[in-house]
Amino acid sequence: MKRSASNSVTNGDASNKKMKKTTEEDSEIGFANLDENLLYEVLKHVDARTLATSSCVSKIWHRTAQDERLWELICTRHWANIGCSPHQLRFVVLALGGFKQLHSLYLWPLSSPNQHGRLGKDELKLSLSLLSIRYYEKMNFTKRLP
Amino acid sequence: MKRSHQETSVEEAHSIGKKLEDDNNMDEFLSALGYKVRSSDMADVAQKLEQLEVVLSNDDVLDSNALNDTVHYNPSDLSSWAETMLSELNYYPPSLDLDPTRMCNLTPFSDDNECSSTTSDNSSKRIRLGPWCDSSESTRPVVMLGVDSQETGVRLVQALVACAEAVQQENLILADALVKRVGSPAASQAGAMGKVATYFAEALARRIYRIRPSSPAVDPSFEEILQMHFYESCPYLKFAHFTANQAILEAVATARGVHVIDLGINQGMQWPALMQALALRPGGSPSFRLTGVGGPSEGDGIQQLGWKLAQLAQAIGVEFEFKGLTVERLTDLEPEMFETRPESETLVVNSIFELHPVLAKPGSIEKLLATVKEVKPSVVTVVEQEANHNGVVFLERFNEALHYYSSLFDSLEDGVIIPSQDRVMSEVYLGRQILNVVAAEGTDRIERHETLDQWRKRMGSAGFDPVSLGSDAFKQASLLLALSGGGDGYRVEENDGSLMLAWQTKPLIAASAWKVSDVTAEWRR
Repeated sequence: MKRSASNSVTNGDASNKKMKKTTEEDSEIGFANLDENLLYEVLKHVDARTLATSSCVSKIWHRTAQDERLWELICTRHWANIGCSPHQLRFVVLALGGFKQLHSLYLWPLSSPNQHGRLGKDELKLSLSLLSIRYYEKMNFTKRLP
Repeated sequence: MKRSHQETSVEEAHSIGKKLEDDNNMDEFLSALGYKVRSSDMADVAQKLEQLEVVLSNDDVLDSNALNDTVHYNPSDLSSWAETMLSELNYYPPSLDLDPTRMCNLTPFSDDNECSSTTSDNSSKRIRLGPWCDSSESTRPVVMLGVDSQETGVRLVQALVACAEAVQQENLILADALVKRVGSPAASQAGAMGKVATYFAEALARRIYRIRPSSPAVDPSFEEILQMHFYESCPYLKFAHFTANQAILEAVATARGVHVIDLGINQGMQWPALMQALALRPGGSPSFRLTGVGGPSEGDGIQQLGWKLAQLAQAIGVEFEFKGLTVERLTDLEPEMFETRPESETLVVNSIFELHPVLAKPGSIEKLLATVKEVKPSVVTVVEQEANHNGVVFLERFNEALHYYSSLFDSLEDGVIIPSQDRVMSEVYLGRQILNVVAAEGTDRIERHETLDQWRKRMGSAGFDPVSLGSDAFKQASLLLALSGGGDGYRVEENDGSLMLAWQTKPLIAASAWKVSDVTAEWRR
């Protein structure tokens, strides 16, 4: 793992490099101290793998990287349009478990080995179906049979 | 029960035995088949026949023309026949002595009349059975129990078929003797083959002893649990649901209201995915009404299910209505029960493995399909097992089922020594089907599977035309299979507009869609 001090906000490729810091070095390197909002802006441009590993860096990074909006970007960026409005998609997916779950459970396994592979309509539809089934299976139903 | 049965058939055996009493202690069972073997020679003959089998299965022997030149002695004198065969083929017994007490592999040849060509029959029988025996062993890591599994696997199959033949000929004494000999080899056989053989042996035993009902009675909730595990462990049910849903979505693409009648609501696992797809329809979701049909054993469960689906619908913003219909059997359904609203709703009828049990009573399927036609659905989705387990001749049903369930069990094998609960339960689930196909009769036999071609004829005469399942359904099915385990053993096949799910090229499930025939074309029939 490379350690590199990068003060400027760069594109996705540059932020692929992981930063592993100890607390003593915090004050020296600026990137780890990045304001949450700025961090969010940076993470908007990374790919799925980077976003996932980013959440392992620190508590602040973890909190930011878990943001559903970031995962929504990951999910919808490379996908073919399935025809519905983004608002519709967001509403349904968030109700059924969220984009992060959708991605990690179904889209990621379905995606091609090529990191920047496009996910087609079919993969997306199948993933959504499986997500809904999972939600249904896990529903805590209040009226239980003895 | 067993005792009285045996008493009556023992009389039969005695009469046959008396005829041959003077033939120097000839073995009774073999005599009944036309072979003369001294009881004292039995172990020796068994050993020779086993050696003969090994020699004949050796490819070199088959390729050579040695067999063509062999002079065949009278095969009814098994002892000397086996002796001459072995010497003709220049066979020298290996130093490893085959245990002569292991007599369980002594099976009669398939046809008395073809005695002279028995050797070629035997080998061709082996070759015929070979492919699917191979598939159960070749691609999976198998626990070897010190014996050649494939060898014993083939013998196991032969033993089962021999027993079934005896049952077909109503020679229940012989069948009883044979089924007892299958028990322990089946149990010691590793892998899918052993499990299948155990179930088929149990089924045969139940049939011979006329044990009713065909499978042990279980709580309906246990049946549900079994089906859930089956749903989780393999892609068959998911394939069925997803393909049917795709056909439904295409049929209701422009509808403002959708009404689905599910002929077997079970756990309602099909509907979350459909509702999600409706919720994401461009332009907004239509209203969705679901009428779920269930049996009396499901009782209150259906209403609970309705509530659960309603909660899901609310979460994703789909206007939802649910009604549960409880009927004793599907033929009790009448069109009025569905309360259709043709002016505002597009109607769909869905049947996943629900049609074949209706075949148990003559005339029922016609009545059901007439009821379905009367409510004027836009599409009827049908998924059924792709097999003919409803033939009139028992032996044919048996052979078909043996082939079918061997494939099915093989697809469940994941090579893991300690199986998951899902897999174990799935095997029990399928095992109960096996018991029903083989041991049950009359209205008790509900697993009356028929092939797609047979269903096509039935649907056609009931007044339905096929609807082609589009390429989207094919693509989605392929993706689903890619996600499931089993490597690349699963395949989706297109069959004249319908889709089939196959394991190692054997189709197991067929999904099709139908619409009511055009009125103008109707009177031309």
